[in-house]
Amino acid sequence: MRRLNFFVRVFVWFSVRNLTRHPGRALIVVLGIALGAAVFTSVRISVHASLDAFNRSMAHVAGAAEQVAVQPGGYVSETAIPILAHHPAVSRFSPVLTTYVRPARSPADAFFLIGIDPILDRAFRQWQLDQGYGARGQIPWADLIAEPYTLILSQPLAAELGVAAGGRVELDHNRGTHAFRVLATLNPGGLALVEGGRVAITDIATYQEFTGLLGGVDRIDLIFRPNTTAQQIDHLASALPESLEMNPPSAARDSGNAMIRAYQLNLSVLSFISLFVGMFLVYSLVALNAAARRRELAVMRALGASPGMLFRLFLAEGALLGLAGWLVAIPLSGLMVNYLVRVVSRTISTLFVRVQPESLALSAWEVLFSFGATLFVSVMAAYQPARAAMGVAPKEAMEIGQRMPQGRYTARRLVLPAMGCIAACAPLSLMRGIAGIPIPGYLAILLLFVGFSLLAPWMLQGLGRLLAPGLRRVAGIPAYLAGCYLRSSGTRISVSVGALITAVALFASLVIMIHSFRRTVELWVAQTVSGDLFVTTKMGEINRYRFPIPEEIVAGLQRLAPEADVVESRRYQLRYEGFPYELEVLGMRTFLRHGGFVWLKGDPETILPRLERGDGALVSEVFSNRTGLTVGDRLHAQIEYSRVVLPVLGVVRDYRTDGGIVFYSWHRFRELFHDPGWSGVRFYFQNRGPDVDDQVVRLRNEIAQRYGDRLDMVSGKALRQSILEIFDETFAVTTILLFIALVVAALGITTTLSILVLERTRQLNTIAAVGGSEAQIRGIILWEAAYLVTVGEIAGLVCGFVLSYLLVYVINRQSFGWTFLYTVDWGALAYSLPLIGLTALGAAIPAVRSVLRQPPATLLRER
Amino acid sequence: MMETGARRDPLILTRNLTRIYTVGGSSVAGINAVDLVIAPAELVVLKGNSGSGKSTLLSLLAGLDRPTSGDLLVAGHDLGNRRATDLTDFRRNVVGMVFQSFNLLPTLTVLENVLLPALLAARPAEPARRKAEELLDWLGLKSRREHFPAQLSGGEMQRTAIARALINDPALILADEPTGNLDSRNGRLVMDLLAELNRRSGCTVLIATHSDLADALATRRLFLSDGALREDACDA
Ligand SMILES: Nc1ncnc2c1ncn2[C@@H]1O[C@H](COP(=O)(O)OP(=O)(O)O)[C@@H](O)[C@H]1O
Ligand SMILES: [Mg+2]
Repeated sequence: MRRLNFFVRVFVWFSVRNLTRHPGRALIVVLGIALGAAVFTSVRISVHASLDAFNRSMAHVAGAAEQVAVQPGGYVSETAIPILAHHPAVSRFSPVLTTYVRPARSPADAFFLIGIDPILDRAFRQWQLDQGYGARGQIPWADLIAEPYTLILSQPLAAELGVAAGGRVELDHNRGTHAFRVLATLNPGGLALVEGGRVAITDIATYQEFTGLLGGVDRIDLIFRPNTTAQQIDHLASALPESLEMNPPSAARDSGNAMIRAYQLNLSVLSFISLFVGMFLVYSLVALNAAARRRELAVMRALGASPGMLFRLFLAEGALLGLAGWLVAIPLSGLMVNYLVRVVSRTISTLFVRVQPESLALSAWEVLFSFGATLFVSVMAAYQPARAAMGVAPKEAMEIGQRMPQGRYTARRLVLPAMGCIAACAPLSLMRGIAGIPIPGYLAILLLFVGFSLLAPWMLQGLGRLLAPGLRRVAGIPAYLAGCYLRSSGTRISVSVGALITAVALFASLVIMIHSFRRTVELWVAQTVSGDLFVTTKMGEINRYRFPIPEEIVAGLQRLAPEADVVESRRYQLRYEGFPYELEVLGMRTFLRHGGFVWLKGDPETILPRLERGDGALVSEVFSNRTGLTVGDRLHAQIEYSRVVLPVLGVVRDYRTDGGIVFYSWHRFRELFHDPGWSGVRFYFQNRGPDVDDQVVRLRNEIAQRYGDRLDMVSGKALRQSILEIFDETFAVTTILLFIALVVAALGITTTLSILVLERTRQLNTIAAVGGSEAQIRGIILWEAAYLVTVGEIAGLVCGFVLSYLLVYVINRQSFGWTFLYTVDWGALAYSLPLIGLTALGAAIPAVRSVLRQPPATLLRER
Repeated sequence: MMETGARRDPLILTRNLTRIYTVGGSSVAGINAVDLVIAPAELVVLKGNSGSGKSTLLSLLAGLDRPTSGDLLVAGHDLGNRRATDLTDFRRNVVGMVFQSFNLLPTLTVLENVLLPALLAARPAEPARRKAEELLDWLGLKSRREHFPAQLSGGEMQRTAIARALINDPALILADEPTGNLDSRNGRLVMDLLAELNRRSGCTVLIATHSDLADALATRRLFLSDGALREDACDA
């Protein structure tokens, strides 16, 4: 305790006072760390909010169920219920139906409708009515059963829709619009928390009538009797129709979780880079303090301080900067989180699973984690300078004259380890992910940054040596002196270059990756999402196309557009060994006449005819990467009542969802198995003149007139546009993270150069004393900045290209299962890199201005 | 080069020269009402205790600082009221400085250090280079040209600094405690060099020191105490 007291006191005397003597530099470093920490924290918290909302929602929906019986791709027939009811292993069961519905003629968002039998369900899910109802002595769930088209709304939903118990709401679904009477509202708790509170409960019979699902349910939840053995459960499974599957209720939650977590990891890594860049800031300040105070350190040692004491002092300095940065990060994160939660949840909802984060679940773990990460990074950054401080010998206190910065030697010594780090990326990038997480890939990225940063001193000196003599003639003596300074400079100057390299590399690689991604998606959209008008059941998309279009409408649609080709399709949501995917059976022949696929594996020439005939299926890249199934393999699936075996003919790119997609011929499916019906249809006009848009509008109006309340429509153009908009929105987050990393890197330049100026006050004054003008001396600093920026940009660009390759072919492939056609956006790089360079040079201005603050006469004052 | 001209034109002329430092609220007089006339080709030793104002006077004469009040004329330049750029030209062409702690640039070699003032003044490179090499030969640093300052001894560093002070043929050499960081043998060598240079090229040398090494060489001795100047009779 006394030792700690003593340490704290020395720390305050020696380190804290020194930091407060130059508040400007300390503040910039703290701000840099704070930005990095804030980005990191807010990204983590935002994704966590979605994850938490998803899990809570799933948990409330799953309730107490131990097993769930489902029909892959379809509905569980109610005929299974008697089997379950009489089986000795089953203690309780409850059929459940869920869907999204939308208030009719209202701008309100869709919400979640649960259909249950209120009596059977009581053992499974908790829900409680608002007090008001019970007071009147009625039994609301009894009313729910007795009175058709009644429902119970959650309180927030009732408030949003402006109804109270006894009021009426009209709801849209695939079979049209129907009015419901609101019986009561739910107390917040249990089921009422599903989907962030956007939920309503209705009786199963009402639900079935409303959606047209007579005799079918989504699933049947089961609770077994105590001491039920595995054999008994197996026996139950064999007693059920063969096509039924029994799953643990966590299956859907686990796959959703895995997807969100992969996304969280990616964003975390991306945001961590800002923190990593901030690390360079801490390093530069602590290292420069340690170097500039060498004599003080020697004096401390001479007075009896142990090397360990000096080591701890500088480590504590790093920790203090980290702590201060984290504290400043708290309000910053608050600002960022507000924005991020919205964008992140929208991205997750479109790409993976629907989430409704209602409140910010401030997880203590996430806060602790970000605190730990920030502190760790800051202390790590201080480690090397602290080691160097340890090595100061007491006898240096008696030496006079300046020491030469230990430049060339260390710089060259770093080249080999640097090359080693960079070279290690190759084998790492070939390794598989661990548990679906591209850990070797991330390690490769880290090593890449470290390698290039270690190379920075050597490159800087090389550039100084190479250019200094020539520049003396062309650009004058300041350029020459700057070059001389760099050619023998230590590793410390290179630090801001390391930060810049990292930020530029990140920038270049993301520009390349996002561009490649977008171009590929554009190509895919044009090919695979071709069509002039897309029609599906009402709320088809949000309900994942589960409800087929009624027969009579199908017949009507076919008659409506004689001048258009029709491609019918049906989508099934299935699982292959736990991995969720979508099977799309579609009118292949007509589709291939107008659209197509973006091929990855297999020869289109030979495959297309076979695909048309229905000899096999195409699988998406994601599906192939996740399941290991590829050309030549066979896909087994249970679809509604049919067991289906499809040879895989080829692999194509698809970016519809994070899950996999399998394409197969609709007509052949009907021949071989059963009539799948239509869950959607697209129209292609044969006459592709300039009036296609008008034709689309005309057809659309006609369909709307006849079946408007039962179908959703979107023009192909609008659909393709919205896909690209969602894409751009998704990457808006990335762009912000990127921008912040660049800001932190610019702060790094400001600190490093300012400190270098302060540290060299004496040298710069000497130059003034022997005839250097103010302009020449400012020129030296500006040229130093120019060298730094040049090396940072060139090395950053090279590093960025390697990184982009890792992102496209390793990280994306392993985290999401997809890759893209690699294309470089030279235009964007050509105008943004000079812009970054200018900004970085701009960051040098404070340093340039701080030159000659004191008159050169201070030279004559001996310390 | 400045025409230092007729014998009677003084090289340095100050009247009532005063420099007052204000630190915080209080003010300290570095030098106070100094009247001084120095003729060309003199070798002046300026003595005084630590804190007596020697460095202050030198920094004013070197154009590194500005007087608070009083007149200051060096080689015909009025340093009392001038703009900064003029002072730069003055430093380039009129004075050469030698410091107690050498102040060589650690990132430049010996030769580059010597060349620096010529380069800053945009003098033609080749003649400057020849001159630098001559100076280094004269100072016994021929074999050290490509070395960095960190590889030199104190005496060698100070001789490099002298060569640097001479590269632009200044009319005035100002040396502030040039032997302060040297042992007595090297100290004597440096003093002898400054005297030789005064004899050979006739440039004016002003040495601020509190050692007695230069007493015998001086043509004139001045004493500063508490910022006030007192002339001392010279035996020479
Ligand atoms: N930059 C400065 N700020 C404040 N006081 C100064 C400064 N430079 C010199 N002084 C003061 O002026 C006086 C003369 O100092 P100086 O010229 O350095 O003396 P010397 O060189 O003879 O030791 C001293 O009292 C010193 O403290
Ligand atoms: Mg002095």
